[in-house]
Amino acid sequence: MLPHPEFAAMLLADGRLPVGGHTQSAGLEPALLGGLEPRDIPDLITTRLRTVVLVDAGTAVVARHRTMAGLPLDDVQLAWAARTPSEVVRAASIAVGRGQRRLAQRLWPGSAAASALAPLRAPARPVAVGSMAAAAGLDGARTARLVAYDDVQSLCAAALKLCPLDPAETTEWLLHAGPGVEAVVVAVAHLTEPDGIPALSAPLLEQWQHAHPTHPRRLFSA
Amino acid sequence: MPDTTRETSRAFRLGVAGPVGTGKSSLIAMVCRELGDELQLGVITNDIYTDEDARMLRAAGVLDPDRIRAVETGACPHTAIRDDVSANLLAVEDLEADFAPLDLVMVESGGDNLTATFSPALVDAQVFVLDVAGGGDVVRKGGPGISRADLLVVNKTDLAPYVGVDADLMLREGQDARDGRPVIGLSRTDPDSVAELRAWVLAMVASHRDGHHVPVDPGPMAPHSHAGDGARAHSHVHDGGDGVHAH
Repeated sequence: MLPHPEFAAMLLADGRLPVGGHTQSAGLEPALLGGLEPRDIPDLITTRLRTVVLVDAGTAVVARHRTMAGLPLDDVQLAWAARTPSEVVRAASIAVGRGQRRLAQRLWPGSAAASALAPLRAPARPVAVGSMAAAAGLDGARTARLVAYDDVQSLCAAALKLCPLDPAETTEWLLHAGPGVEAVVVAVAHLTEPDGIPALSAPLLEQWQHAHPTHPRRLFSA
Repeated sequence: MPDTTRETSRAFRLGVAGPVGTGKSSLIAMVCRELGDELQLGVITNDIYTDEDARMLRAAGVLDPDRIRAVETGACPHTAIRDDVSANLLAVEDLEADFAPLDLVMVESGGDNLTATFSPALVDAQVFVLDVAGGGDVVRKGGPGISRADLLVVNKTDLAPYVGVDADLMLREGQDARDGRPVIGLSRTDPDSVAELRAWVLAMVASHRDGHHVPVDPGPMAPHSHAGDGARAHSHVHDGGDGVHAH
């Protein structure tokens, strides 16, 4: 039996979901180490929502669709990889994607999601999230919102560990990101084909993330 | 392939927890030195802010550097061994797959307060490490690791005279708190204590192999016996009452 979609969305959006998400900062630590001023963090959130988050949310929506249709996910994973040029960024995504797959297989054994994810060597995070969203009964819009919300929420949570901030302030950032998140939903919720996934990039963000493993002092893995 | 079905080459997984600076990395280096010739070993470290522990272990030359891997925990060492073990579990499984068959994988916690213990989803057994330099009263403060870890190590006993601590008293109090579970007073300058640790690890690996070992969860919190002591011991628990470490 499927959970209520609102309940399922809350479950999957919880930052405490045991998939390893707490080890990453949604690109914030790399950005700060690369020279981003803390006062510009809200702009970083906006930029991500207009670029890399569209790629990930689109990937998740298509992975959800293909899982529901009983189709393989290899093409979705390839489409995502082609839009995520840095192997460092891909590895970070895959690290959580594997945790996400493990949880999907535990929560929904025998589901179309479990079967679709099993043959992948190592699923990207949005591929695993999208497939899991299918198992949980989320529609395309809720799947896109989940990915976008999680990106902003992860970044805000990481900001509290990296910068001197009042926790209420980062919660305010999250609230104010609402319209940007909804813009992502509108842009990708209807997608069904890998070719349709947005192909936007943010070269500076990618460069910061690409350099992250070379920094000697890191709290986060990405 | 599926991350949940790799049971065939599973090593005995041993967690090493305890506050920062008590000698967790040195204990792991000691085990590698003592047992590296007879067991196939792997190590996962959870450093807080650097990969210092992984580098220290690699530099110690006690184990092939490729068999030592660092996991960043997003400033949540407690979460990474208890509430969400995903990153560590994948690292352990990758190590087991890359160097199969391993006999023993040690997972070093990033070091946290007295309430931090490993989830049974990550390790089969755990060592809780204290040291005399942290103060003779730490054992009395209690905590799940002190009371119920598979082994309590009171480390650096050779330093006791220099820090004004009665190491024997500390060990006796440790035994009292643990209801018969083992306690080892360890010093790298005391060969007998090193032999004791070595024998304990070998016995645990053998017990795991025979299928006799049953993992026991020390639990997130110890029962409070004195309100004052308890409050001090658990002063870093974020959500109070039930010991949930929220992030």
